[in-house]
Amino acid sequence: MAKLVLSTSGTIVHQCFLDQERVSIGREASNHVVIDDPVVSREHAAIFQVGNDHVLSDLHSENGTFVNGVRVDRHILQHGDVVEFAAFNLRYLNPRASAESEMDRTILIPALSGSAGSGESAPTSPGFVAARSSRTHFPKGRVKIRGGARDGSIIELDRVVATFGKSGKQLAVVTRRPHGYFVTHVEGRRYPRVNQQMIGGEARLLRAGDVIEVADEQLTFLLD
Amino acid sequence: MLSNFIEIVGITDPGSVRQFNEDNVVYDPDDGVMVLADGMGGHRAGEVASRMATEIIIERLRTSVAEFGSSGDQHLPQLAVKQSINRANDAVFEAAEANPAYHGMGTTLVLAVFYDNRVTLAHVGDSRIYRLRNGRLELLTRDDSLLREQIELGMISAADARGSHNRNLVTRALGIEKQVSAHVREDEALPGDVFLLCSDGLNDLVEDADIELIMNALNSNLPLAAQHLVQLAKDNGGSDNVSVILAKVRKPFPAATRGTWIDRLLGWLLR
Repeated sequence: MAKLVLSTSGTIVHQCFLDQERVSIGREASNHVVIDDPVVSREHAAIFQVGNDHVLSDLHSENGTFVNGVRVDRHILQHGDVVEFAAFNLRYLNPRASAESEMDRTILIPALSGSAGSGESAPTSPGFVAARSSRTHFPKGRVKIRGGARDGSIIELDRVVATFGKSGKQLAVVTRRPHGYFVTHVEGRRYPRVNQQMIGGEARLLRAGDVIEVADEQLTFLLD
Repeated sequence: MLSNFIEIVGITDPGSVRQFNEDNVVYDPDDGVMVLADGMGGHRAGEVASRMATEIIIERLRTSVAEFGSSGDQHLPQLAVKQSINRANDAVFEAAEANPAYHGMGTTLVLAVFYDNRVTLAHVGDSRIYRLRNGRLELLTRDDSLLREQIELGMISAADARGSHNRNLVTRALGIEKQVSAHVREDEALPGDVFLLCSDGLNDLVEDADIELIMNALNSNLPLAAQHLVQLAKDNGGSDNVSVILAKVRKPFPAATRGTWIDRLLGWLLR
C-alpha cells in the first residue's frame, strides 16, 4: 500500500498510509496531513485515488504545490516523488507506482461514468492516450546520398524507419534499432546491394562506411 | 475469393518480458474476416479465453459470410458480428463458471469483416482498430478503459497519461458477465485503405506517429510492416504480448463480383 512520509530537516514527523479515496493536506487541524507552517494554506492540496493512481491536486493554495521542484496543478504521483511545503518534505512511497512495475496484468473494473455504456462507438481523435515514453537509447546514424534526385544530400536517420530507392521499382528500408541500423529489401524484383553484394530477404546489420545501392541511389552509411 | 481484393497479415508475439502469450490472432483472407483478442485471468486462463473467443467468432463469421451474397440484406454483417460475439461470450462465461481454474477469465476483442466495399468493425476492451487513409492514421475505436475515461472527463491530460499506472484497467471485457455489449460500426472500405487491429502491447509502447510512419513507409510490403510494428514494440521494452493484424484494400470488392465462377476464373487468371 502507498505511504506518505512527512519530514523536516531530515527528521520524520508524520507517516500515514493512503487508504482513503481522498487525503487532504493543509495547515488546519481537520486535514489528514497537517503541516503547521504559515506558508501552507489552510486546505493546501489533496491526493485522490483513481484506479492504481494517486493524483495530487493543488487546492488553489496561496503559494502553490511543488513536486520535485516543479510547480504542479495536478500530478500523478510516482514512487519516490517529494512534495515540498516550505521547510517540509512529503515523500510518496509506492513501489508499485514506478516505471519498472509495468508487469501488471489486465484487470476489469467498473466504468467511471455512464457515458461508456452504449453500444455504438464513435470515432475519436488519433492517439489520445499516448504511448508510454520509451527510455530506449538509439544510436545516431545518417546516410550520404550519391546519384538520383537527392544527389549530394545527407539524410539523418533520426526516426525508426527511412526508405530509399523508388517506390514501385526498387525500395529498401533502413531501420533504427537499439543495437544498430539494419537495411531490408521492401519491394522490387532486384534486391539492394551492400558493398557491391546483393542482400537477401533478411535484415542486414549496417557498419559505418557501408555503401548501399538501391534504384539509382548510392548511400554511404555514417555512424557517430 | 476476397483474398484477391484484400491482403491480410497477422502476427502475435509474447514480447520481450512475458513467458506466455495470452493474445490470439486468427484471420481468413478468403472470407475477409479477422479477429484479435487479448486474454486476461490468472494461471494462463487468459490464453484459454482469447483462444476460445477468436476460434468461435471466426468459425461463426465464416459460416455467415458464405450466406451474405444471396440475401442482399445490408444489415447482415453487423447482425452476424453481434451474434458471433454473443456466442463467444456465452462460451467463455460458461467455461469460467464450470471450471474453478478459469474463474474470472475474459478477453478483449477486435474484429473486422470486409464485405461489399464496406467493413464492419467491432471491439470490446482496450484493443484497438486504426485506419491508414491517404497517408493519415486514424484511431477508429474508443478504449473501454479507465484511462480513456479519465482523459475524456478532464481528470488528467493526455500528456499526463504517460505517468499513469492505470493502463491495465479495462472497463469492459468479453466472457466476464452473462452478456456483453460490443461496440459495432460499419464503414466504407476504399482502395488503398490499410486497417490495423492491435493489442495494447503495441499502442502502449509505440507512438501513433511511429505506427503511421511504418505503415506508410512499408505500405508495399505488408508482412514487413507487421513485423516492424511488433519489433518496435519489443525494442521499446516489449513489456506485454504484442499482436497486430494488417488488412489492405487492393481494389474495390462489390458483392456482385464475389463468389461467382467468373470471379474465380478471373482470380485464377490474374494470379
